[in-house]
Amino acid sequence: MIADTREVLVEVKNLRVEFKGKGKKPFVAVKNVTFDIYKGETFGLVGETGSGKTTIGRAIIRINPVAEGEIRFKGQRISGIIPKELDREVTRKIQMIFQDPMASLNERAKVDYIVSEGLYNTRNYKDEKDRQAKVEKALLEVGLLPEFASRFPHEFSGGQRQRIGIARALIMEPEFIICDEPISSLDVSIRAQVLNLMSSLQKEKSLTYMFISHDLSVVRFIADRIAVIHKGEIVELAETEELFRNPLHPYTRALLSAIPVPDPRVEREKKVLVYDPRVHDYSVHKPKWTEIRPGHFILGNEAELSQYEKLLAS
Amino acid sequence: MTAKEEKTISAIEEQELFTFAEFDEEASERTGYSNYSYWGSTIRVFLKNKSAVTCLIIMISLLAFTFIQPYLPNQKNPITVHLDPNTGRQLMNHPPSKEYWFGTNSIGQDLWARIWSGTRTSLLIAIIVGVWEVAFGIAFGALWGYVRQLDALITEIYNVIHNIPTTIIMMLLAYIMRPSFKTMILVMCATGWLGMARFVRNQIIIIRDREYNLASRCLGTPTSRIIMKNLLPYLVSVIVMRIALSIPGTIGWEVFLTYIGLGLPIDTPSLGNLVNEGRRLIMSPSLRYQLIFPSAVLSLITVSFYIMGNAFSDAADPRNHW
Amino acid sequence: MSEPILSARDVVVKFSLRGQILTAIRGASLDLYEGKTLAIVGESGSGKSVFTKTFLGMLDANGWVDSGSIMFEGMDLAKLKTEREWLKIRGKKIAMIFQDPMTALNPLRTVGMQIQEVLELHQGLKGEEAKARTIEILGQVGISDPAMRYHQYPHEFSGGMRQRVVIAIAVACNPRILICDEPTTALDVTIQAQILELIRGLQKKLGLTIIYITHDLGVVANVADDVAVMYAGDIIEYGTAEEIFYNAQHPYTWALLSSLPQLGIKGQPLYSIRGTPPNLFNEIKGDAFAPRNPRALKIDFVKRPPYFQVSPTHYARTWLLDPRAPKVEPPATIKAMRAKYARDAI
Repeated sequence: MIADTREVLVEVKNLRVEFKGKGKKPFVAVKNVTFDIYKGETFGLVGETGSGKTTIGRAIIRINPVAEGEIRFKGQRISGIIPKELDREVTRKIQMIFQDPMASLNERAKVDYIVSEGLYNTRNYKDEKDRQAKVEKALLEVGLLPEFASRFPHEFSGGQRQRIGIARALIMEPEFIICDEPISSLDVSIRAQVLNLMSSLQKEKSLTYMFISHDLSVVRFIADRIAVIHKGEIVELAETEELFRNPLHPYTRALLSAIPVPDPRVEREKKVLVYDPRVHDYSVHKPKWTEIRPGHFILGNEAELSQYEKLLAS
Repeated sequence: MTAKEEKTISAIEEQELFTFAEFDEEASERTGYSNYSYWGSTIRVFLKNKSAVTCLIIMISLLAFTFIQPYLPNQKNPITVHLDPNTGRQLMNHPPSKEYWFGTNSIGQDLWARIWSGTRTSLLIAIIVGVWEVAFGIAFGALWGYVRQLDALITEIYNVIHNIPTTIIMMLLAYIMRPSFKTMILVMCATGWLGMARFVRNQIIIIRDREYNLASRCLGTPTSRIIMKNLLPYLVSVIVMRIALSIPGTIGWEVFLTYIGLGLPIDTPSLGNLVNEGRRLIMSPSLRYQLIFPSAVLSLITVSFYIMGNAFSDAADPRNHW
Repeated sequence: MSEPILSARDVVVKFSLRGQILTAIRGASLDLYEGKTLAIVGESGSGKSVFTKTFLGMLDANGWVDSGSIMFEGMDLAKLKTEREWLKIRGKKIAMIFQDPMTALNPLRTVGMQIQEVLELHQGLKGEEAKARTIEILGQVGISDPAMRYHQYPHEFSGGMRQRVVIAIAVACNPRILICDEPTTALDVTIQAQILELIRGLQKKLGLTIIYITHDLGVVANVADDVAVMYAGDIIEYGTAEEIFYNAQHPYTWALLSSLPQLGIKGQPLYSIRGTPPNLFNEIKGDAFAPRNPRALKIDFVKRPPYFQVSPTHYARTWLLDPRAPKVEPPATIKAMRAKYARDAI
């Protein structure tokens, strides 16, 4: 049983993010999202393209502006306009790892500059020698050789580049790292390397991760709790194994049934469920975000909730 | 495998071969390299383009020559009006001869000297204006493109200014300040930077939201450093191309202004007023040489810069790097 | 065993790149049987796309087939040179679909026209007959309201729908072989499942033989009858899907399977392969996987292993299968797989 006793690191309350749309109406990427992230855990956020998962990550790290609702870090509000001091603190303590290792590094800069970029900004080093030592340490921690600092990104493979991106985030000594599909663009055999690295770093440095992905099988392996997001709303949130044992929301179930399993016999027998949004009738009774079991949240109206209760009972 | 290698294999103990090799973890990291260099490949592809390299050599020689020419022996002053030693009258419209290699113009000035002096003047104007366009145009365009809040405002201002024909602005300015070398430069600078700024702004909008720029923002990098280290290095190749094309462009504007009478004064030779003088004589076949020589030089410069600019832009495209 | 409809033997493909020669395929062989699906599994740089492009003469301008043969319907495809000769094969006998549907679709023409054009060209249908057949095909690939969709442009379709259109164009002429190059990698998981079902359905209906290229072992488990595993331009193991998943023999296949998160145990590190694939500009001596293989034998660095037979349908290129090699324990995941299905002996 989790929840109440652990320290809450990040709180997201009724978050709404809009983008300028065609014409007058703004495009709502994130509708009304509420969740907490506890210190030391890996929080998985799973959704398909257009679900808004990346937008949430970028809103937390203050790249996307928030239309409604708020985001809190260690109790302090960090969404909207905040004082410079807090902004500096947030820059250091919250970091991000990006999806595409080919696009997330500055091709025209040396690895040395790329990794030290954050240090230059916060002046978090004593002198040139100290800075170089920090860069070396960061590279070694991610399994790269220190001599790589004098090279350019194009000289490295995708997996190595992703590790440079991780080094860049780590050197800031963050507490919370948002990982936006960090392994989706990597080859299968390299993914395991990067996942292992991330796990070991988490243990060593007591990091908290928010792991955004569309791949439920990866998230199952690495996340403690998983939130499933569909078209800007979180539809279900639970501890990982609980979600796989008792998926309640039809979207979650469809998603689970569609994951390809690397086992020919299982795949042959499999039946794929298709999610049809019309199965919800929200014209009269609006859906509410409810904790149907301790730690297991679901979006549904009264009729649906009683259905889910029946499912859980059986 | 050769027979010799086969024998070597069987000579070594079979046992030995079928034992485990030492696993060097670091060696496996090293297999990920390639030593491809972007600028190295760009220069290599550019140098492979024979016509571009030829043009480059021609332009460099031309520019060098315009500076060297006055110091060669037997060169005449471009302004001096030459008199016929026999009659004492001006040597007007003298066709090309051993004494005057390009002939003389209607006042009796040596065309050879005038062409080189004129080319030097025009190229200097073009280069100075080009440098200004780069410095100011890029700085302005970068801020315009990167800082979202400025975009709407500046775009409005740009639209207003852009709608006034450049020719009218130029004519107005040239008229107010009297024609001179400095005026030419000021006039061209006042109008030239706008195109470069717009171009840079468009390019920056394209790359502004790429992941590596977002990463820099997450790390707290200030806007000035993002522009200097993240954005501009990407734009160097397109910027070089634009400069290459702006040089013949500036000379073209200069010719136009001279045509409408607002160019450099007649005692400062430039390709503009040389072409203009020659234009008046286009109808008489014997005097056409006064148009042909400056036009030839102008065409050579224009074509060369276009070829070089295009070749460089092709070479800078990583897809052509094989 | 029936005769294969396509048989590739020792194909070597080279590219001229940045002034050097790169050997992308180093002597690959495979057999394709009618009505079956062969999955070619490999990571980026393994050469899987390049290999299948040789079946259609679609190598980039700086590449060529250096040696080897590709026998199809009595012809050696490796020897075809002119566009004319390839036009008889491409689209008609062998068709290909790619990862990004927008590379195959013309944004300026309606979807209906693009399918119809293929029918008119290859099957000589005209006018109303062609249009009717086009609408029929659109329905067959699962596009609802095909008569209306016929008039729409590609940008009016979603990613999954576009891929269906591409599939429609590819099968319009009833090719014998359909090559699918990672068609679902860019699609969401739910859409992917639907497309895979569609392809399987079409295969049964039209008797297609399919080559499916992917790096996703889950997809392989779903679609494949036979599997070929590629690494650094070479096919290092091939067999039926069950043989490859439940009885893999090559250390690279072991590594691929063990590193899957689906088969991992939470809290414990995944089995991972150190390093990166080799640089194909250099000549590779011995087994290409050796530098990254903690179980490599000394001979792996010296001589390239031949194919060792595991069963009449299962072969692997690894010295570990040589009778002289020491016994090696596969990783825990592989042992678990073998044990799980040991009773249904392969």
